[in-house]
Amino acid sequence: MIESLVKANLNLYAVLRNLPLLVKSDPVAAKTVAQWRIGIQFVVWRGPAATLVFEDGTCVFERGRHGNTEVVFGFITPAHFNRMMDGKGTPVPLKGFRHLGFMRNEFPKIADRLAFFLKPTDAKLADPHYLAVNTRLTLATAVFAARELALFDPTCRQVAGRIRDGAVLLKILPDGPSAHLIFEGGEVTAGLGDVQRPMARIDFRDQATANAFLNGRLDPFTAIASGEVAIRGQTPMIDNLSLIFDRIPGYLG
Amino acid sequence: MATYRYSKSQELFRRAAGVIPGGIYGHFSPAPLVPPSAYPFYTARAEGSRFWDVDGNVFIDYMCAYGPMVMGYGAAHVEEAAAAQRRLGDSTTGAAPVMVELAELLVDIMPAADWAFFAKNGADVTNFAVMIARDATGRDKIVMIDGGYHGTAGWMQAPGHHGVSEEDQRHVVRIPWNDVPAFEAVLDQYPGDVAGFIATPYHIPTFADSQMPADGYWEKIQALCRRHNVVLIVDDIRHGFRLDMAGSSAYFGFTPDLTCLCKAMANGYPISALVGCEALKSTAARVFHTGSYWFQAVPMAAARANLVKMGEINAPQVMLTRGALLLDAMVNIARGYGYELKVTGVPSMPYVRITNDESLMLHQDWCAECTRRGAYFTPHHNWFISAAHTDADIQRTLEIVDEAFKAVRAKYGSAFQS
Ligand SMILES: Cc1ncc(COP(=O)(O)O)c(C=O)c1O
Repeated sequence: MIESLVKANLNLYAVLRNLPLLVKSDPVAAKTVAQWRIGIQFVVWRGPAATLVFEDGTCVFERGRHGNTEVVFGFITPAHFNRMMDGKGTPVPLKGFRHLGFMRNEFPKIADRLAFFLKPTDAKLADPHYLAVNTRLTLATAVFAARELALFDPTCRQVAGRIRDGAVLLKILPDGPSAHLIFEGGEVTAGLGDVQRPMARIDFRDQATANAFLNGRLDPFTAIASGEVAIRGQTPMIDNLSLIFDRIPGYLG
Repeated sequence: MATYRYSKSQELFRRAAGVIPGGIYGHFSPAPLVPPSAYPFYTARAEGSRFWDVDGNVFIDYMCAYGPMVMGYGAAHVEEAAAAQRRLGDSTTGAAPVMVELAELLVDIMPAADWAFFAKNGADVTNFAVMIARDATGRDKIVMIDGGYHGTAGWMQAPGHHGVSEEDQRHVVRIPWNDVPAFEAVLDQYPGDVAGFIATPYHIPTFADSQMPADGYWEKIQALCRRHNVVLIVDDIRHGFRLDMAGSSAYFGFTPDLTCLCKAMANGYPISALVGCEALKSTAARVFHTGSYWFQAVPMAAARANLVKMGEINAPQVMLTRGALLLDAMVNIARGYGYELKVTGVPSMPYVRITNDESLMLHQDWCAECTRRGAYFTPHHNWFISAAHTDADIQRTLEIVDEAFKAVRAKYGSAFQS
């Protein structure tokens, strides 16, 4: 029960929330949504909710229900939402029957594009564009998922309880992309981009290293010792955070 | 002053990564050494207070093999005793007489020891102590300190670590250090179900300042344990024989039921011991615990010779004095560069940290600069000063410390200046 709720949080707040980043990073995705002008809410009964707005070729994601969107999708349980995210279930439109055609035929195009970039294979990763987008999205998924797990997964909550206040920065050298997590008084915030004066940082030597690391294809201990991945600062924050990262595949793998 | 390079260490590590999980695992993992490229990974040989890495760089060793080295690598009194025993036998069928002699010695020098039991590693005896506490009391719960380290078995690790199940943690209750009311609250919460209390003599978390017992702390813990029939276990694995030859509980003025000993016993030979009070002797006899090499005679002979010699020169006092000499001078040098060096714990196993930068990055850089010049300092763990560190070592270390501060000052400029 709690597991499917946490998974629903991850699916919405860490996976679907990457649609704006996808639209920014991938010309095919950008082209797909170029003409869209629609707001969609995803509402999980006793679970997470979010609002996605496509407009003028951009995509905005917000946690919670905002404004009066054209479409509202309801899910009777977190498991119901998770089934849709696994491509096995269909949502119940609470509003916007007029847009059913769009939801059935258009929206899956962007959802599929997201899934395409989040399921890497060796062959796909050989393409530099795929590598770049997958790295960006995986980095974002990692920090957003870590936030949800730190707050809601019972074991990760214990682990997060050991993380002192301050920011942890993850950065691909030389100039990004980067992402961060801020721990403060029991609150956890995840975000993209740099932070000033992090308490701890993980620097990836280059994109290929970051990609291998984030996709679990690189032994972290060996990578750190050899300098491919550099950790500095309050490294117990990183040790504990990595215990949280390591639990993401258990939900999304 | 030249700075070191480590091409052979790196090359060996690349080979290791192919055939050994993580390349180098456990507490020798390079991961907490920041940056790892400033540190040697492989040691070619060691003598006295120094070791030489595979690239030929020499280091004054302030980690002392993470504790086991107390009297200098290759100390003659230990090596001679070990060699003499080796000529007679080491791992043999049947225990060697030296086992009895070593047990008698521990019982003789430690007020808290009426008997002694030998194993190899620290965790062998922390585990055994907990088994004894459970068997003696017929209870399950073990109270330990948040951030305390007693080894790697499931119950010893913090929740959420790989390979640790909820079941492993079910009977472990963690409380903050120096918090007597928290212990009282646990005794209230689990009436008649607390088997043991385990803690180090003073608190030694990694990446954080060491914390001494508050006034009356041990006295109160001991009184509570006695009142509630809880077995009081001291994990003296790291501190043992570095504070006092009679055990760290003697140093702090209390008497545990069980004391776990290991690192400083035999100057690097593999042996650990659990010593305890008369009342728990028959329990210790009936809790089955053993290992393939636990009767090895050479480490026992080494331990006996080492402990005798340490007693003769009052090694703990020597280390405390040397450590204080070094650390006081280091703090002064730091101040000259505008940095505050905070020293916690006793001077023979100090935790040292530059406080100007809370993130520790400045401190990590400084430790790296010291190591690159031959004073092996880790940024995350307490250091160790042995009885083999000479005045010349201290002098040389202070020169290195000065240069390293110059280097970080040049890198950071006026940032972080107090
Ligand atoms: C305080 C303390 N307890 C227990 C242990 C575990 O000892 P070992 O690694 O020999 O099992 C250590 C080792 O560092 C220690 O410092």
